[in-house]
Amino acid sequence: MKPKVAFFDFAGCEGDQLQVANLEEELLNLLGQVKVVSFREVMKEHSDNYDIAFIEGSCTRLQDEDRLKQIRKNAKIVVAIGSCATIGGINSLKNYKDLDEVRKTVYGENARLFDTYSARPIDAVIDVDAYVHGCPIDRDEFLQVVKSLLLGKKPDIPNYPVCVECKKNENVCAFERGQFCVGPVTRAGCNSCCVNEGTICWGCRGLVDNPNENSQKEVLIKYGLTVDDAIGKFRLYFGWQERKR
Amino acid sequence: MRIILKEDFAEFVNTLIKNNSLNVIGVKSKGDKFAFGHLESASELRLDYDVTLLPPKKYFFPQRETLVTYNVANGFSAKDPADIKPMVIIGVHPYDIVALLHMDEIFRETKSDPYYFEKRKASIIIGVNIQKMSKWCFAPYMGCAIIDYGYDLMLTDLGNRYAINIGHAKGEELLMKYAKNVTDALARDIQLVGQKKREIMSMAQQKFDFETELIPELLSKSYGESGFWEKHSEKCLACGSCVLVCPTCYCFDVKDNPDLSLEYGERIRTWDGCLLEDFAKIASGENFRPTRPTRYRHRYFKKGKYLFDRFGFISCVGCGRCSSNCLPDIANPVNLFNDMYHETRSMGVQVAPATEPEVDIQTEGNIDYVPKLATIVKKVPMTAKETFFEIKLDDGSDVDHKPGQFVEVSVFGIGEAPISVSSSPTKKGTFELCVRKVGNVTTKLHTLNAGDKVGVRGPFGNGFDAELLKGKDLLFVAGGLGIAPLRSLFNYVLDNREDYGRVILLYGCKEPRELLFGDELLALAKRDDVEFKPTVDWCPENEVWDGNIGVITTLIPQVNFDPETTYAIVCGPTIMYKFVIADLKSRNVPDNHIILSLERRMKCGVGKCGHCQINQIYVCKDGPVFNYSKIKGVPEAL
Repeated sequence: MKPKVAFFDFAGCEGDQLQVANLEEELLNLLGQVKVVSFREVMKEHSDNYDIAFIEGSCTRLQDEDRLKQIRKNAKIVVAIGSCATIGGINSLKNYKDLDEVRKTVYGENARLFDTYSARPIDAVIDVDAYVHGCPIDRDEFLQVVKSLLLGKKPDIPNYPVCVECKKNENVCAFERGQFCVGPVTRAGCNSCCVNEGTICWGCRGLVDNPNENSQKEVLIKYGLTVDDAIGKFRLYFGWQERKR
Repeated sequence: MRIILKEDFAEFVNTLIKNNSLNVIGVKSKGDKFAFGHLESASELRLDYDVTLLPPKKYFFPQRETLVTYNVANGFSAKDPADIKPMVIIGVHPYDIVALLHMDEIFRETKSDPYYFEKRKASIIIGVNIQKMSKWCFAPYMGCAIIDYGYDLMLTDLGNRYAINIGHAKGEELLMKYAKNVTDALARDIQLVGQKKREIMSMAQQKFDFETELIPELLSKSYGESGFWEKHSEKCLACGSCVLVCPTCYCFDVKDNPDLSLEYGERIRTWDGCLLEDFAKIASGENFRPTRPTRYRHRYFKKGKYLFDRFGFISCVGCGRCSSNCLPDIANPVNLFNDMYHETRSMGVQVAPATEPEVDIQTEGNIDYVPKLATIVKKVPMTAKETFFEIKLDDGSDVDHKPGQFVEVSVFGIGEAPISVSSSPTKKGTFELCVRKVGNVTTKLHTLNAGDKVGVRGPFGNGFDAELLKGKDLLFVAGGLGIAPLRSLFNYVLDNREDYGRVILLYGCKEPRELLFGDELLALAKRDDVEFKPTVDWCPENEVWDGNIGVITTLIPQVNFDPETTYAIVCGPTIMYKFVIADLKSRNVPDNHIILSLERRMKCGVGKCGHCQINQIYVCKDGPVFNYSKIKGVPEAL
């Protein structure tokens, strides 16, 4: 019996599900191993009978918690996909602002109709069995995680920073190009894809387990960033994790 | 020495490139930096570079390399015989050539790494003397800035021409076959090359305040120096950059990569680094080098002391890549060693050069990364966490182990894990494992059943010296799963009972339901030639236990033994050793009568990957069985 798989989304851009939909040929191979019973982005059907739930997006409202808990109840395995779901993502930027202001900015006059609370990753609400980090997720890593789950193996998500992959890929360090990067504290697994393309690591995969944040902030400042900008670099993706630490 | 005009050299390189049987590699620019890469034309060559981002070791020990492929139906096979084009690597600086010579020795020790040497043998190295020195470079201090060995050809830029030193017949042949207008050097050119070399020796901007031959001894005196390593590593990001760019670093990790059918896959090795947090972490979660200062220190000791003691060289060539890649600027060996030198001096400690170590490197055959296919013939659940497996190699051979050795067990698509053989070598046809469910491999193994296939490599490690123990009284001390490796020796002793004196087994676990090999232990109680005492840390109300209650050390006062004739054989969780050893010592057991079996993250099994290293010792190769007298001074051991 093929495991039944469902996709769900919360506050996010649905870009991670799009990555899955864009697997193209590999998606067909994947469908040889699993049966997709719910995937709003590519199909009309829906079923609540599933084994693996992939959840995209952050939890940003109290009432979303019930839906999350229901998914947890239905699924044997819950996988968070994408930064919003795994680490709170850029949604957590709002946690540093006054939430009423945020509501007004987003919804204008009708703000009072829309509830909100601090954005959080889904493991702040329910237990999560596996993570596919990234903004958006990497298709190959998504497949790696699925394969691991099918084999009954804990997915192999690195606990070392992006620098490891960057060095293996023989990139010129972003700092040496006069740019500012949070790769030294960001969890690897993306094969340093952004730096490979000549840009920087923004930190979308979140912090490694034990980052040396002080040293990294010192490095950013030593190379010419203001203290505020250095803090901003950290907040972009690490907002939730930083508050929790 | 020969001479070739630069335009003729370019022609030579272009001829090599046009020859489809060669893979021509050279130094090219990459942004403002340089990197070795495939050459399309001689015009891409930048022999005036300072340093490349990565050293040329990537061509022999690639960032990612398939070791083994597997097919669930047929088992494991070696990677297809590599279609290796002979490589010509142009523009290697002397320090990187020395680094390759270091790698050669490391990958040759004990057993040769076939994947490294198949590529190494198919390569021709054309070196170039340094024209610009990176500001981080200190190769002159390490004796690696100019060399007269290790290359096939060595170029020196003399303006409109190159002087070529021939290091090896392979280089000369290449030159004769493909280069035009090569002439013998005149006295003037020979003199010029000598002058260039002298200039190189004074190019370094990094300066040591002392003779670098003092490094091994300086390190010896600084291992436990309070605060020193903490101070230097405070800003360490544990990003691994320093070790990943190092030309002499060789640690690796091994992973399985199944394809989507889950039927086929490959086993891959990738670069790893001892600075990374999880490097010495085992499946149970225990991390043997958990802090940044200890990992930071390990790097310097590995380069400056452990490899020196083993091979006789300091495994640093002074390229300066670690320094230049460290964002907080704490990885510069020159700064660290200068500071160490001055601190040591300020404390009045005199440091003399280390005596040349006795280097005795044996090598025999190749490492076999391909597991043998084996079948589970029996599976018996023992406790909630442990399962007993009896396994038979499909080729009908015996695993042929010594008591105390371990095998690497493979599960398709999951990976490999080191597991001690639990049966005595006297048992033929099959062997036994007692496996605790802790990591991916062991968890999956627990779901397999009789008839299912696994892979087996080994046996590995030294094992117990059953000969040495002959005629002695044996005191076995086992904690928890520690009984599993001890059982291989214990059963061997029972099968050769007349060769040994008294046999005492003390065995402790947390609670009665965790007792392993219960039936066998019951049978022991009936024997009059074995003294057996079990204990449990505690007994829950719903369980029955009429034996001792208390940790394992509470059993030691309950047995009488003669410390002069008794050997204690101890295996258990890490925490157990120091207490058991202290109690044995208080009973006057000499240090060399205490034998331990240690657990670490043993990935390759052959002393290469680096994960199981405790100070200078590879547990997988030098252990896992150790005489306490040999490791009591090894700080990371216990």
